[in-house]
Amino acid sequence: MKNISDATDLIATAREALLEELLPRIPKEQRYAGLMIANAMAIALREQRCDAQVTRDELARLRALLPATAPHSEATKQEALLALRRKLCTAIRAGAFDEGARRHELEAHLARTAADWVAISNPKALRAPQAAA
Amino acid sequence: MRIAAQPVMERDSSEAFIDATAAVAVARWLRDETRANDVRITTFERLPGGAIQDNWTLDAEIDGGAWHGTHDLVLRTDAPSGVASSLTRAQEYAVLQVAHAAGVIAPKPLLLCRDLAVIGRAFFVMQRMRGLAAGHRLTRETLLVPDGGALSEELGANLARIHAIRPPRAELADLPSPAADHARATIVGYRAYLDGLEDTYPALEWALQWCDRHAPEPWDTTLIHRDYRTGNYLVDGGKLSAVLDWEFAGWGDPREDIGWFTARCWRFGAHAKEAGGLSEVEPFLRGYESVAGRRIGREALDYWQAMAHLRWAIIALQQAQRHVAGGERSLELALTGRIVHELEYELLQLIDAGVR
Repeated sequence: MKNISDATDLIATAREALLEELLPRIPKEQRYAGLMIANAMAIALREQRCDAQVTRDELARLRALLPATAPHSEATKQEALLALRRKLCTAIRAGAFDEGARRHELEAHLARTAADWVAISNPKALRAPQAAA
Repeated sequence: MRIAAQPVMERDSSEAFIDATAAVAVARWLRDETRANDVRITTFERLPGGAIQDNWTLDAEIDGGAWHGTHDLVLRTDAPSGVASSLTRAQEYAVLQVAHAAGVIAPKPLLLCRDLAVIGRAFFVMQRMRGLAAGHRLTRETLLVPDGGALSEELGANLARIHAIRPPRAELADLPSPAADHARATIVGYRAYLDGLEDTYPALEWALQWCDRHAPEPWDTTLIHRDYRTGNYLVDGGKLSAVLDWEFAGWGDPREDIGWFTARCWRFGAHAKEAGGLSEVEPFLRGYESVAGRRIGREALDYWQAMAHLRWAIIALQQAQRHVAGGERSLELALTGRIVHELEYELLQLIDAGVR
């Protein structure tokens, strides 16, 4: 059990203090800035919670999507991710995914990745699964 | 000459000093331009909003000369940093003159100052129009917009009046030349921008590929506003009072404006109301057709809505860059960058739904 607050707990607690103690008292003109700060902290918290898993999943999907070119030599997951994304972009522009099964695989991957990041940046924008289907 | 500058909000004294100095300079300039005996500036206040342009409320009492009387004006100048694709103030002034003369509902441009010695930047002065622009209120408060369909129809007709302006126009000679295929030229520009970034954006890349392969036959080139959307026009008494923010105007395919106005990302959460969060799309298209004599088909509308999301994503990336790399630390710019995820998500849904 932790005795000292970690980064996540510090941001969450600071956000609560902002919303409960500061926001009700600050002048109306600064309310928008206050809400932006609270929003930024909420995004940072969600990213901290989900980033590692989202990155792992995207990397796995990219390796499946680009099997012949999947590099394993990059020093970090982040570097591998950036390299694979770049390869994917080049292949998209070259028309490798324009039609057929490859297109569906690509769209499934992109839709999953986009939804994962919307869940971090603005979860309210996610549509109900049945609407998205 | 008497000058009274009364900044409303309390700011630090150096800023207030700059405002007062600018007000004196503007008063002197107005006096010379209008051949007045005396100009008294009663209000000179920065208007909120405008990440790219800087707008000031300017109230003047003018004694003698061509403008004798009191005037409610707006002074528009450049913000310290802008987006590369925006017009200069002189270009924007020329566009506004042409649009206003063509019967477009917009503020009347009155005077242009190219002389940097006056306030350090070029600026122009235009008529101040009454009304409210805030999109989140116009799309929600029925007291402000009692009949969303009627307002949509008016906005459609007004957009068609902009699109009735065709090249070449001598007054607009220094706008960039029109491209033969606006959609594809735009896609080339977006790709070039993405290629210059360190990160890559596969979803945007896929959307660009899709848009490149599905571009409809071009319509004839017209003047386009390129930011014609809820939030950029004033509504007074439920009616359109002025279209604002002409800084992105240029030559292009008029359907870009229709896609931008109706795109989901500009409905302020009123998603079922395709026409800018005001109403369904039909009244808007009807108003447009009543002036233009033609209407966009559903397939092309879907296409240009996808292009609208792409355009907004590229602009959001540019805004994020200003914060991350451009030396303009700003939480608002940083958060604008996070909108890209949502735009990618919407683009994928649009493309998926529009499999044709």
